Amino acid sequence: MTDQPTLQIVAFCCHYCAYAAADLAGGLRLQYPPSVKVIEVPCTGKVDVLHLLRAFEHGADGVIAAG
Amino acid sequence: MIVAEAKPLDEIKRLVADAEKILVVGCGTCVTVCFAGGAREAAVTASMLRMAGRLEGIERQVTDVTVQRQCDWEYVDPIADQVAAVDLVLSLGCGVGVQALVERFPDAWVVPGLNTKFMGVTLEQGVWAERCAGCGDCLLGLTGGICPIARCSKQLLNGPCGGSIDGHCEISAETPCAWQLIYDRLAGKGKLDALLEVQPPKDWRPARHGGPRQIVRDDLRLNEAEVGQPAEQEA
Repeated sequence: MTDQPTLQIVAFCCHYCAYAAADLAGGLRLQYPPSVKVIEVPCTGKVDVLHLLRAFEHGADGVIAAG
Repeated sequence: MIVAEAKPLDEIKRLVADAEKILVVGCGTCVTVCFAGGAREAAVTASMLRMAGRLEGIERQVTDVTVQRQCDWEYVDPIADQVAAVDLVLSLGCGVGVQALVERFPDAWVVPGLNTKFMGVTLEQGVWAERCAGCGDCLLGLTGGICPIARCSKQLLNGPCGGSIDGHCEISAETPCAWQLIYDRLAGKGKLDALLEVQPPKDWRPARHGGPRQIVRDDLRLNEAEVGQPAEQEA
């Protein structure tokens, strides 16, 4: 691993697709960095710009809206 | 409705530069509808100011609140305590809202976060157009309901001028010629005779040219006994 600081990523994941995919990834024991914080949402259509800004305000380096 | 748009963030940052505690006040009426100064925009603006401050090494306290209408005392009075607790109020109301906050809270320092543009309609999502200039003496009854004061670049009362080209104004191919619209409207209604009457020069005194305007309705004003009555006694 490099000495670069770990980037903090917040991932808003749709319950019906991306979150299910993350769940499946877990079931398959696939690895993703622990710095990715998954937040399940009923639908990514619910993700508002305020959610993205809130994540950045609290120190996120990047935000993913996956759905 | 009154249509406004947000000032550039850099300008807002300059306006609030000296403040440590800021209250962003949104307005729940016109500027909410035109996506310039509603609750969502107030929250976004507050967030942007907090982050902008951190990037500059300033830890600002920026909160937001949205009232139903900034231009009526009964809606702004409930935020008096929040206004008193900050160094600066950033109003996301129209120019009326900003001044209403100044008049109601004279001790507060209030700055505008929007540029107020015009009175208009929503043509489609994301597109607004001017429709009324508030001239104080409506002549839409003469022109088929299309206003030459707000929509003709020259505010002609007897148009069109020679700059009307294929139904558009000479200032821009994007701008419809108001007088072409008026002609087409009256022709469609069989009322072209209305255009035979030459309109005299407009009296602009009811417009801004007569100075700041005010309407007083004595039939609506409260008498001295009624002013200051506690609200619960009316219920």
